[in-house]
Order: sequence, then structure tokens, then C-alpha cells
Amino acid sequence: MLDNWLPFLIYGALALAIPLSMLGMSFAFATRPSHRTKTRTIPFESGVSQGPPRLQRFTISFYLTALLFIVFDIEIVFLYPLAVVLEPLGWFAFWELTFFLGILGVAYVYIWRKGALEWR
Amino acid sequence: MNLNEPWWIDAIKALVIINLVLGVFAYMTWVERKVIGRMQQRYGPNRTGPFGLLQPIADLVKLIRKESFFPGSAIDVLYITAPVVSAFTALAAFSVIPFGAGWQVGGYDITGQIANVQISLILLFALGSFGIYGFIVGGWASDSKYSLLGSMRTCAQLVSYEVSLALSVLGVILMAGSLSLVDIVHSQEADWWYAVPQFIGLIVFFIAGTAETNRAPFDLPEAEQELVAGYHTEYSGMRFGLFQMAEYVNLIVLSGLCVTLFFGGWLGPWEPLGPLWFVLKVLLVLFVFIWMRTTLPRLRYDQLMSFGWKVLLPVATLNALVTAALVVAL
Repeated sequence: MLDNWLPFLIYGALALAIPLSMLGMSFAFATRPSHRTKTRTIPFESGVSQGPPRLQRFTISFYLTALLFIVFDIEIVFLYPLAVVLEPLGWFAFWELTFFLGILGVAYVYIWRKGALEWR
Repeated sequence: MNLNEPWWIDAIKALVIINLVLGVFAYMTWVERKVIGRMQQRYGPNRTGPFGLLQPIADLVKLIRKESFFPGSAIDVLYITAPVVSAFTALAAFSVIPFGAGWQVGGYDITGQIANVQISLILLFALGSFGIYGFIVGGWASDSKYSLLGSMRTCAQLVSYEVSLALSVLGVILMAGSLSLVDIVHSQEADWWYAVPQFIGLIVFFIAGTAETNRAPFDLPEAEQELVAGYHTEYSGMRFGLFQMAEYVNLIVLSGLCVTLFFGGWLGPWEPLGPLWFVLKVLLVLFVFIWMRTTLPRLRYDQLMSFGWKVLLPVATLNALVTAALVVAL
């Protein structure tokens, strides 16, 4: 069982080494400005900078989307294992699946009618 | 399964495959510029080498030689690690995609994938989700208005379409009865490729996958007319290059996954070609992605979100339900 993961570890180490080496090369070979000025390091703001947006506020929709994601992604976490064993378990598993998706469907309709899927 | 495959074969295979993936990435940028150029009736890069073939190498040298600009107000550790995280997860995700049936050379077994783990599909999605952190953290840590907006958009978009992406695959899992990509390809050997019975799943997968890799028409996170460049506005040099690499490698992984799940992976009319079939199919899918980029205009953000939640999600769920009924009934 653990044998299966050894190739993944070898490959993963390579996959980590390549970006790191590229970054290292850019540290080693990059051209550097002869002297640093403070104005060069301010963030890009199309010309006029009002400083970094430390306390910028966001549309509530972004947070709402995150909450919706949690609800529906957990659903998928439950469905994947069931999908693997659905055929051996037969109709019992199918009705379980339908029941589960039915409850979720009620929640989905509720969310839709509440207007949570609307982007504002 | 008792395979006689010592660790050094795994190491050689990993080295070859990762370099192939990087090579495809490098020349994908060339092909993309060339194809888009031709479709817009211009030539595309043609100065470096014959047909501009050395362009990716020139780009690499340029990116390494460029000053690694660092915004003064950025949070340094996060700012530097974010592109590495993205590139690492994108590259690592390719390890579970099978590219061949496996061979026997001189008493040793060489399997047709790097890691044959039972939960390869979940591992792939997990790595994909982990890669999102790089985009969000990178945009947030660079402390610029456009980066922050871009990373928020990326976050919301990827999170919304990941639900549909994962659900669209459910039909294939139901039919194959396994989460292992190797088993999924084997189960397509006797019957139709899943592109035929899972046609709706394929369409949902393809659309959600396009959104998941930030490709046009879903490239809102880096809509250059609105956001300068999105989450990597403040990045330059090789750090920018790593983000770019992560995006293209993600696209290659997604194409590989698409081919594996819906188009029979390495299977083809003539057996001995094996991995070549896989490569050909992946290149074809990649071409479709480029084609879509030149053809389709960008969506509006509210259209994008409502399309994901109100169309793709119900369609994917219904597809899974109908597939489940058919799998049990037949």
C-alpha cells in the first residue's frame, strides 16, 4: 500500500525542486538596479498611488460564495465514496442517493429563492 | 499486484515525465501565440529561430534575467512562496494521470503512470484546490488594489466551478466503480469511451474545467482591461513565470484528465502506439482550448457566477442521478 506512494513522493520532490531551482536562478542571474529608490517599490495603481489597500472592503457576495461552496463541496465529499460502491449495493444505495440529493435540492431551491445565487 | 519495479525506475520515469510536461508547457506558449496569430491574420513569433521555434527558450532566459521586482509593502514570505506553491501543485497533479498500459523491459515492469494510488482522482482534485492558495495568497500578499481584486475573483470563480467540475466526474465514477484513473481507463477498454454515455458530463466538465484554469471565455480573474493583470499584477521575472507555468501546467493536467476520463486515455485503434495516442489526444484538447480563447468573448462577472450556480450545478447533479439510476437498473 505504502509502496504506491513512493513514486509519488519521488515525483513530488522533483516537482518542488524545479520551481525552487527556477526561483534560485532568478535570484542568482537577475539584473539589479544600481540604486533603489522608494518610489519604485510602491504598488502599481495606474499612475496615481494612494498607498496599499490595507483595509479595503469587499462585496458580501464573495463571502456568500465561499459559504455556498462549503455546503456543496461537502455534498461531493459524501457522494464520491457512495459512487464507488453504488453498483454492488444496488437500489438501496440509489434511494439513499436520491434522498440525500432531495434534501439538498430543497436547500438549493431555498437558497435560490432567497436570492443568494444572485451576484450583487 | 506484485510489480517488479524498483525505485530507480520510478525516479527515471518521474524525471522523464516532468521534463516532458515542462516541454509541452514551453511549446504550448509558442503554439498558442502562433495559432492565435494565424487566426487573427498575423504571423505570431517568427524572429527567434525557424518559425520562432526558439521563442520559449528566449522567454525563459529573459524571465530569469529580469529583475525580481518586490513591492515595498508586500508580505515577503508569502509573496515569494505563493508562486512556488502554485507551480508545485500543478506539476505534482500530473503524477496520477496514466499515459500507457505498462511495459516489460528486461524483467522489470514499467507501469504506465507515475503513481498508481487508489484515490488518484481525489488526490488530483485536492492538489488542484491546494494550488488555488498560491493564487489567492500571492494576490493578497502583494498588497495592491488590482492584485487583491484579481485574487478575490479567482477565489470565487474557482470555488464555484470546482463544485460543478467534481460533480460532472461523478457519472464516470459511477460507471467505472473506481476512483483510480487506471481502472477508469481499463473500464473503457471493452465498451464505448465515456464521452458517448457521459456526453452531458463531458460538456459540464469541459466548461467547468475552462473556468477552473482561468481560460477565456472565463478569464475574468486576469481580465486585462479591468484589472491590469489580476492576481499577478505585482509579479515580475521568474516569479511571474512560475505563475504562468502553473496556469499552463494546470491546463495540461486538465486536458490529460479529460482524455483519461472521457476519451479512453491511452486506448486507440492500433495498440502499439500506446502513449502516443494519449499525447495526441491531449494535444487535440489543448488545441480546442486555444481555439476557444480566440473565438469567444469574455463573460460578465454576474453572468459567470449565475451560470456556474444556476445552470452547471443542477445539470451536473441531474446527470449524476440519472447515471446512478441507469447503472443500478442495467
